[in-house]
Parts: sequence; C-alpha cells; structure tokens
Amino acid sequence: MIVELFILAILVLLAGTLLPLAAVSQDRRIVRTISLSCIIIASLLLACLSLANLFSGKPVPFTLYQPLPLVSLSFVIDRLASFFLLIIAVVSACVAIYFSEYIEHMEGQSRRNLLCGSTSLFILAMVLIVASANTLSFFLFWELMAASSFLLVTYEYTHDETRKAGIFYFMMTQLSSLFVLLGIIVLYVVSGSLAIAPLTAASTPLVTLAFLLLFVGFSVKAGIIPFHKWLPYAHPASPSPISALMSGVMLKIAVYGMVRFLLNVFTPDLWWGVLILAAGTASAVLGIIYALKEHDIKGMLAYSSIENLGIIFMGIGLSVIFTASGLPDLATLSLLGALFHSLNHAMFKSLLFLTAGSVVSATHTRDIEHMGGLAHRMPVTSALFFVGAVAIAALPPLNGFASELLIFISFFTSMAEVIPLYKVFLFICLALFALTSALSAACVIKAFGSIFLALPRSPESAAAREVPRAMLIGPGILAAACILLGVGALQIFALVGFPVPLPDMLLVSLLLIGMAVLTYAVLYFTASREVRVSETWGCGTLSQRASAEYSGHGFSEPLDIIFSAIYRTRTTNERKFFDQKNCHFKEGYGEIRLLKVFEEYLYTPIAKKSVLVALRISRFQNGCLDTYLLYVFITVIALIIFLGWFA
Amino acid sequence: MIDQATIEGIIRILFVCIIITAAYIISTRNLLTVVSVYSLQSLTLVGIALALWSLDGSIVLLEIAVITLISKVIIIPYFIATIQEKIRIKRDIEFHYLSPTTSLIISMALMLAIYLAFTRIMKDSPNATGGLIFFGAVLGISLMLMGMMVTFSRKRTITKVLGFLSMENGVLLFGMFVTELPFIIEFLIVIDLIILVILTTILSVGIDSTLEDYHKRLHRFHLLEEEES
Repeated sequence: MIVELFILAILVLLAGTLLPLAAVSQDRRIVRTISLSCIIIASLLLACLSLANLFSGKPVPFTLYQPLPLVSLSFVIDRLASFFLLIIAVVSACVAIYFSEYIEHMEGQSRRNLLCGSTSLFILAMVLIVASANTLSFFLFWELMAASSFLLVTYEYTHDETRKAGIFYFMMTQLSSLFVLLGIIVLYVVSGSLAIAPLTAASTPLVTLAFLLLFVGFSVKAGIIPFHKWLPYAHPASPSPISALMSGVMLKIAVYGMVRFLLNVFTPDLWWGVLILAAGTASAVLGIIYALKEHDIKGMLAYSSIENLGIIFMGIGLSVIFTASGLPDLATLSLLGALFHSLNHAMFKSLLFLTAGSVVSATHTRDIEHMGGLAHRMPVTSALFFVGAVAIAALPPLNGFASELLIFISFFTSMAEVIPLYKVFLFICLALFALTSALSAACVIKAFGSIFLALPRSPESAAAREVPRAMLIGPGILAAACILLGVGALQIFALVGFPVPLPDMLLVSLLLIGMAVLTYAVLYFTASREVRVSETWGCGTLSQRASAEYSGHGFSEPLDIIFSAIYRTRTTNERKFFDQKNCHFKEGYGEIRLLKVFEEYLYTPIAKKSVLVALRISRFQNGCLDTYLLYVFITVIALIIFLGWFA
Repeated sequence: MIDQATIEGIIRILFVCIIITAAYIISTRNLLTVVSVYSLQSLTLVGIALALWSLDGSIVLLEIAVITLISKVIIIPYFIATIQEKIRIKRDIEFHYLSPTTSLIISMALMLAIYLAFTRIMKDSPNATGGLIFFGAVLGISLMLMGMMVTFSRKRTITKVLGFLSMENGVLLFGMFVTELPFIIEFLIVIDLIILVILTTILSVGIDSTLEDYHKRLHRFHLLEEEES
C-alpha cells in the first residue's frame, strides 16, 4: 500500500512538472493552478504514507528500475525517511497553496509556467533523495535537486543581483555535489557496494576520509559556516515561496543525508562528534550574530537558517559523542532533539519566509528600515509572522522551545556522564548555545518591531494592504503546526514511542493562558477608570514622525558594540585631483562598510587561486602540435619506466 | 653457406649502423643529408631483414625486405628529394624544446633506460638479455622514440615527416624481432607512408614553413606567389 501511494505521488509530481513545461508558451492561470494542485495532491499522499509508516515503523524496500545487477534505482521507506517525507509534504503543500496566488502577481508571464514545473521537479527530487536506498539513486536525485533549485533561484535572471546569486549558488551547490560524490566513491571502494548499509570496517583512514568528504558535502548544502555564504545571496534573490522551500526543506535534506549516513553506514568515532558539534556551534553563534546586523528581511531569515541548522548539527554532534561514549539513551535524546528541531525549523522558517514574502509584495521593499506600522494594515499576516517569531525565538509554549529544550536537556544530563576534558568542551558549547537563544530572541524582536509596529517609515509601507486569502491559508496551516507541535510535543513523542523528559507543554500553555487572564483580570479590576487624553511625549519635538522612531538599526546598536570584534568594518577613502600635486580637489568617494570576512578572506582568495591554477593548467593546451607530441613522448617513456620498475 | 654466428655478427654491425643513422637524423641540420641518411637507415633495415631471412627462412621477412627496399629506399626518398628541389631549402636550423646536442644526450639516456626496463621486463623470457631479439626490441623502441623526438623538436614540416618515417622504421625493427607482424599489416603501413609523403608533396606550397604559420601561408597564397616571382 505504501509503495503504491509513493509511486502515485511520484507520478502526480511528474505530471505537475511536465504539464506546465508542455504548455510553456501559454500564459494561462489554469495551467499553473493544475501544476500546483498536483503538488498539493502529491503532498497529501506523501503525508498519508509517511504518517502510516511512522506509526507502523516497518521499513518498506522496493526497486523501481534495475538495468544491471549493481545499478538500480532502489528505495526504502523507513521511519527516518518517513519523517523527512512528512516535512517535505507539509511545507510543499502550504507553499503550493500560497504560491497559487503569489505567482499571479509575479513578473514573467508564461515563464511562470516554468517556475511551477521546476518547483514540482525540485520537490520530486527531494522526495526521491529521501527515499533512496543506494548511493547511486541518492546522488542522481541530489544532482537533480541541485539543478532544479538553480533554475528556481535564477527565475528573475534579468536582475544583476539574481545573476550573481545564481552563479554563487551554482558554484556552491556543485561543490557540495562534488564532495558527496567523492564520499560515495570512497565508500564504494571501502565496501564494494552501492547500498546504504553498515560498513564492516570500523574506522580505517578511508572510512574517515569518506566521512569527512560527506560531512563537507552536506555542510555546504546545509549552509554550515564557513560554507554558508550562498544562503544570504540565494534567499533574497529567490521568490519568497522558493526561499521557504529551500530553507524549510532543502537544508533538511542535507541534515537527512548526514543523519542517514551516520546512522546506517558509519560507526562514528568520538572526534567526529566533536567536529560536528564544533561546526554546529560556530554556525549557530555566528549565524545569529550576522542576522542581527542584517536589515534585508530575507537576508536576516537566511542567516537565521544558518543559526538553526547549526543547532541541528549540535544535536547530531552530541548524539555522535554520546554514541561513541557508550551513552545510547542520551544519544537518542539528542538525535531526537536535532530531528524535532529540523521539523520545527521547517515549519516556522517556511512560515516566516512566506509571511515575509507577503510583506515584501505589499511594501515593495526588503529593507526593514522602510517598513513599520504593518500590524494595522496587515493584521492577519502580522499575527502569523508573530507566531513564527515566537517559535523561532524558542519561547514557550511553541515548537522552537520544545526542540531546543530537548537539546539543552541533553547537554545538562551529559555533564555528569562524560570525561572532564569533554565536559569543558560541552560546557563551552552549552554557553554559546544559550547565547544563541538569547540573541535569536533579540533578532526577532527587532524584526517584528521594525516591520509591524509603530508608524510606517515609507509611503509604500503606509499604502500596504492585506494579502489575498490563499496567501494567508498556507502560512496559517504552518502557524497552526507550530502551535500544535509545541503544545503537544510530549504527546507526539509518546505517540511515536519515544518518551522524552519534556515538560507537558499543554499544561504549560494552560498555565500561561491562565496567568495572562489573571494578569488582565487584576489589571482590569485594579486599574484606574479615569480617562486621560494627552500627547505622547515626543522627545521635545512638536510632531511625531516616523523618522524619529526607534529603528531596527538603533535596536541592535548595543549588540553591535558588544560584538564589534566580529563586525569588522572596512573604510574606503578615494580622492581624485585635477592637478598632479593633489591641490585641486576633483571628486572623492568614502565608504565604511561591514567586512565580509568569509567572502574576502576565504572565498575570494580560493577563487583567485583556482583561477590562477586553471590558467596554468590551460597553458598545457597551447594549440602547438610539437607540444602535444612532447606529451605523447613523455607518456610513452613514463609507461616504459612503469612497465620496467613498477608493473 | 654463411654460418649462424657470422650472420648474427652482421646483424649486430647493422644495429650499430641503425644507431648511427638515428643519431645523424637527430643531430644534422642539412636537409639533403637527412633524406640520404633516412634512405641508408631503411637500407640497413633491408639488410637486417635479409639476414634474418637467411637465419629463419621465413618468406615474410623476404617480402618485407623487398617492399622496404622499393618504398623506403627508393620511392619515398625520391619524393622528398623532389620536394626539396622545389622549395630550395637546404638547412633546418629551427628547433623546439630540444637542441640537437640535448637530443643526442637524451637519446643516450633513453636507450639506457629502455635497456634497463627491458632487462627487467624480459628477465623471465627465454630470449633474455644479450640475445638478438632483446637488442632488436631495445633498438626498435629506441629508434621509435628518437624519431618521435625529431617530430616535436624540429620546426620544419619536412623534417617532422622524416622523424615520423624514422619512427616507423623503429616499429618495423621491433616487429621483425619481437612481434612478427603479418605481412599485410606491414604492407598497409608502407602504403600509409607513401600516401603521407605524396600528400606532403601536394602541400609543398607550405612545406618550407612551420606548421604554426602554415594556415597563414595558405591564406596568403597569392602574396606568396608574388614573393616567389
């Protein structure tokens, strides 16, 4: 039954891909609606089969196509795959509902059909990756995902910013694919099989090499620092629903890859866990510190994704450390924390990207300094964004709190169990994790306050209106999921057979509601009834202006000062003169800008070195016959020497 | 009849002749001499084939000797000599990567390396070090590589062609001692060589140039005619 449902979902997604491509020249809404409906139907099918499998817990292996004994497109739907299929299904359905209205307000006429087709293909690729039972299928669909997501990122290719983002994304995604491919090849060399199955060799240098290659490959895709730079470029450049899909789902596919290979293939060493935890912690802290400085709403959410993926990697790292230390209960707990945070992040980040898309389409700007006052103009969107903001800030009783609490509990419990050296390391990570949570709350307060509260800071913001209903239903479902997953966290874990030491969030919610009601009641009965009409004090100015408001930049200024060592700036000062002795000033250019540390000290030097190496290598192809004959000559001599001494 | 030891002695002397001619082709700057030396090298090969025939009695070797004599000693040198008369170039003094002296030194190192490599490769075979087959193989490969050196170290196309022909002589020498190529293959190779030389003759408008500017010459054909007139 599960296999049939899965194949049906694949066929529906294929139809959703091919139909708009067949009607690519017809700019008709019906074509796009049918394609997006296919995504919704396939998502429902996938949600049904994944829920059924999650509860039954029985792996369902099957092969779709096998041209050769070793080469096959084999799949297996087990609990881990079902969990990630559920993430894909829920987010895709909500995005498709939202997209059905959003896409009609986009530029591009019939090109929008291509966008629909590519979206369906992108979802199809992710579904097939998650269900893959061997490394061949895994890599094949991994590449399909990379290619289709590139098409989605570069949809608005006429903009310079999008083209740059597209090239950057393409390079990084191919880098990820390269490392994954190399990892898979090394695994094949070690095991002699393409199946994703446990290795018999424990920890030989080749196995370690395979792990490191896969770790880098998945980290690039997940946006783990220092491989994160594509996210702040790709997300602002993509249409908002695509950002929601990429951030909410695609990054989780990298997490899936990491977890799948760690659980099903490797027997990890302790230092692997330390590496993953260190990378996760660095991403979490630096991601949120950079998010605080960001004023582009989608850029901020992109950096926030880096932070959250860091938290997920922290959970995975902890799980590996505990497994290697012989603490299986703690390992399960931290892995559950990481997986639950993956689900939660998918929900609230998609919700935030979709509502951010609504805000951007209403105000025509991504700069939060030019927004403000939208709570009155877009009340439902602001309420939905608020739910996402509370969830991402990990405030009780929403889902972000529940999953982060699980990871915190893993940290706390481990303190009594591990050796002192690791205790110090875990304590440092815990402290940084706590800092991350606090900064995350500050970041969303800044975002929500700047976007929705106070007075509008631009005419566009003042003229903003609530978005159509379809653009509220999709995020609405995600907001409901955020609340449900938070309030019912304990019950959900009990239902799937994993009792976790979480507080009953339902009780916590009731207590919180009770406290709120009590507070209001006390205030209502004790407050003075006297009505006082007066001007709000406006700092001595006669009229209140939006420009006098506490801006997002002002809000984050104290934090900027605290982290000034990280926010390094570069001052540029160029002057031109009419005369040679620099007396008669012609024009000047001055700039103080935030230093892009990773881009300027890591990416650009590597890119320049690569170009240099490429240029040197290209000299070998000089178009001269004599040179090529020389190569043949050297090769023949090398062969003779090889035959004589090494063969 | 001449006894086997004498014939083997003759073959060894002919081997030395092969080395000398190869060294001469690599080092000389005089084009006319190169063609004559190539002709002499081919004649030496004919001698080796006949000597082997007298030892072995295989009719294929006799056929090889005849066809080599006709093609490589008579026809091909005749064509190349005709070209040289037309283009009136006597010397080739342009080199790529290797000067004649360096080429000679590398050739010596090359022969030594191939000798050592073949000593290791053929250590288990009945025709181990010291036998005619062993020397034939070493010299065949060496001659082939020396011919290849000529093809990439000389700029003039006509010298490249001669380097290629010398390479083929190396293959023939190797084939006579080691692999015993079927006669039909030998015949086809010779046909290829003749066609190559004929094509070179047809394209002799550019034969005095280097390959790099050959296309330019073709494009400036009329200009070239004016220059010549």
